Amino acid sequence: MGVLLGLEGEATDAEVVRAVLAGDVERYAVLVRRYRDRFARYAARMLGSRDVAEDAVQDALVRAFDRLADCREPDKFGGWLFLILRNRCFAERRRNRREGRLPEDAAEALASPERSDGAMERREQARELELALGQLTPEQREAFVLKHVAGMPYEEIAQRTGATVASLKMRMHRAYDRLRELMKEYR
Amino acid sequence: MKTFDLRVKQLLDGDLSLADLPPELRAEGEEALRLLAAVDRTAVTLSPALDTRVMAVVRRHAKSPVGRAWRWLNTPRDVELRLRVRPWAVWAGALAAAAALALLLGRAVPAPVPGVQARGGTRDSVFVRFVLYAPGARRVAVAGTFNQWDRGAALLAPAGTSGVWTTTLALPVGQHQYAFVVDGARWVVDPSAPAVDDGFGRRNSVVAVTAEGAHL
Repeated sequence: MGVLLGLEGEATDAEVVRAVLAGDVERYAVLVRRYRDRFARYAARMLGSRDVAEDAVQDALVRAFDRLADCREPDKFGGWLFLILRNRCFAERRRNRREGRLPEDAAEALASPERSDGAMERREQARELELALGQLTPEQREAFVLKHVAGMPYEEIAQRTGATVASLKMRMHRAYDRLRELMKEYR
Repeated sequence: MKTFDLRVKQLLDGDLSLADLPPELRAEGEEALRLLAAVDRTAVTLSPALDTRVMAVVRRHAKSPVGRAWRWLNTPRDVELRLRVRPWAVWAGALAAAAALALLLGRAVPAPVPGVQARGGTRDSVFVRFVLYAPGARRVAVAGTFNQWDRGAALLAPAGTSGVWTTTLALPVGQHQYAFVVDGARWVVDPSAPAVDDGFGRRNSVVAVTAEGAHL
């Protein structure tokens, strides 16, 4: 087992992708373990629900396997998987909007009883912010999540999403104004 | 809608500190920072059963004959060819190639189309010229379905210092998707060609190659 773990730790994404494409399907578990939680916070904050985020991550991982041969740069499997998950999150949000699902449901679903790290007021503020984030466009919400939840600099967000830094800043600045307005409405 | 002052937005972006703001903007700055203080950055852990579920589906898909056939057809492979030939065969081949080249160059050049341009070619392939304006680029390549998206297979050459990069490739007749790769990392769609979604959030340019030339 120790040897297996050692090999798993050392194998690059590109090596695992090539092994899976060559027929070693079980090696895909390495990529599943490597990335399942890495993008969980992004998906949860984008979708407002841990359960929905889990479905999205699962779908993205399966879709990535089905289309593995299309992965242009196996050494950047993580970035490619992120794009698949991102598409899935955007589609989910569009579907929610079409079906008229209330963002409150999502905020309630995300809030968990284990989160007792702050005072009641802090938790209430976090809930209000979560509700407000649900009112942003998917692009604005994504920019906010990547910048202020994941802590990425604009340059990295640009690299991941394909947007320019200038357009990301514009998106984010509009999000700040909208959040200010929404947070005032909730109080 | 009451908007934040630009300097307050820069504070939220991390480009300025509260102390950088003039006194009249401090209160607005503090309000903005309270907004960020409410951000929930706790890690999200997914169910341990996720791995099992994913692998169960993956195994099922891997066993499906359709899935297997699709992956086999779609997986790029390295093919090694070993030839043992007699010297006279090499000379015969070289003569045949020279004759083919002479025929090829003798054909009329079809009218070029914008973006990619086509000329000459054999019955089954057409020379297509790829052009990208990329001032400041150190290296430009074109990768696509015709070269298994290999970023190093087809480099463009700079046309002087104009920022224009070009290359000409013989492409088989059919429809091809492609993109330019600038400096080995940045994928750029051809601004003068139609593009399609690759299914993963990126766009690929499309060129249709017929015996008459390339069509965008």
